[in-house]
Amino acid sequence: MGLQGDFYQVLKEQGYAFGIGGQAKVEQDLITATTILAFKYRDGVLVAGDRRATAGNMVMYDRTDKVLEIDRHSVMAIAGVPATAYEMARILEHSFKYYRRTQLQELSFEGKLRALSTLLKQNVPAALAGTGAVAPIFAGYDTEQETAKIYFYDILGAEFEGVEYAVSGSGSPTIRGILHYLNTWGEQPLSTMPEEQAAIQALRLLTSAAEFDSATGGVNRDANLYPVIKFIAVGGVRTMADPQLRSLFESDVSRSV
Amino acid sequence: MYEEPYRWVEAVGNRRQYLDDQFKQGSPVVGVTYESGILLMTMSKGTPKVYEIYDRLALGGMGHPADLEKLRFSLLEMAHVEGFNRSPSDVTGSRLIKYGVAPVIKQAFEEVFKAPFIVKILLAELGQKSGRDSLLTINYDGTFEEKGSYAVLGASSAVEQEMVAYLRLQSMVSLEQAIDTAVCAWAVGNRAQYRALEEAGEHREGNTDPDQPSTDSDALYAHLQECLAEKVIECAVLDRCQQGPSKYRAIGTDELRRLLPKVMSTSST
Repeated sequence: MGLQGDFYQVLKEQGYAFGIGGQAKVEQDLITATTILAFKYRDGVLVAGDRRATAGNMVMYDRTDKVLEIDRHSVMAIAGVPATAYEMARILEHSFKYYRRTQLQELSFEGKLRALSTLLKQNVPAALAGTGAVAPIFAGYDTEQETAKIYFYDILGAEFEGVEYAVSGSGSPTIRGILHYLNTWGEQPLSTMPEEQAAIQALRLLTSAAEFDSATGGVNRDANLYPVIKFIAVGGVRTMADPQLRSLFESDVSRSV
Repeated sequence: MYEEPYRWVEAVGNRRQYLDDQFKQGSPVVGVTYESGILLMTMSKGTPKVYEIYDRLALGGMGHPADLEKLRFSLLEMAHVEGFNRSPSDVTGSRLIKYGVAPVIKQAFEEVFKAPFIVKILLAELGQKSGRDSLLTINYDGTFEEKGSYAVLGASSAVEQEMVAYLRLQSMVSLEQAIDTAVCAWAVGNRAQYRALEEAGEHREGNTDPDQPSTDSDALYAHLQECLAEKVIECAVLDRCQQGPSKYRAIGTDELRRLLPKVMSTSST
């Protein structure tokens, strides 16, 4: 019903069908050729992702944006089939806007999580067929509870809270260990880091992932290509600008200088 | 009994009269453009009358709250489905009005066996650049008009003309000026409505100088102060400078207090 502010329902009533139909017949490898990560820092949550899109061995595109702003206080980072992931992001973006405008209040953070989970569940057939598996991270600032939150999902729509951090994609095994080490025995826990230091860690983590995972794009200084880093705090979502990324990379990440 | 054409014309005429009566005590709505956006302003009792429709669209309405809600929902649904299926830049005010709600309102108005929408709508659309803003109004019979720098809704066209005549003489650059002008134009309209009520013999108490239609700002502020006893000022802007795709922002009490002219802000708490 439109009166409940459910945009997805409105779309379905208009004859919209989500997802690519497919039948699970052949066992396929799940391809999530990417690295995305999110962790809590002093003021909120940082979400970062590399920018490479691959098809098998081929690099399709090196300027993909996998960290998508859904609304002023939430971000979805995507790993998996981009077509499905972008479609999900588009549905979510419109759903949250529609809810806010019809109901005259913001959708709760739990409501937002539920919305993503529902879409993933709808997408299970395509995920199993190998044509549409998506394993996203959803991070945001819960304005009611005044705290940052991170959730990650498996391709079937189960949702897990990442208390301190979450990773997804093919490069994630590499950096998961690093994150654990950093957070436990590092100079200071991630959650107390100021913004700039958090960004340095994110750049280092993504560079490490690119070192061991061919499907993760690292930093390409010649092409002026840096990962996407977004911060979500009380004030909303902010993207770190390229010049700032460059200077941080040159001063604290690169060792050749 | 409405089968004969003559009866039908008569029925529609009656309807017009009935609807005009319904709006007599409504609160006017003012939409003005200023340097960095569009301001929608009205005064309301309880139910809000200014709403966000889409990234660059805002709605102000007069009339029955249930009818306004119905039309608001159909505008929201059309806008979001279009924005999703095509792109947000394809969601334009004039398409929503001309092909969306205006035909529905007109049909309801002319189907004399059914209830009409008791509603007048003002839809503000923020352009990409200043000077490209537009304000669209629809009357209860489905007639729509598109205006450039200001538009109003009032109980009757006489009231609206009076408000427009006032607005024509003002210049609005900053948000403060826009708010000042809008509240004054609202006062001009509201006063004109009171006057019309009085002339019709339905005297309402507590109005000053109904015979003197001065647009002296002190008189207007005094009128506003009186109205503030039972109503609240409702303001929202479509602000071109706002970050992100959604440009709508309701102006909260604190911000409003800062922006209102000094004479007003002291007692608008």
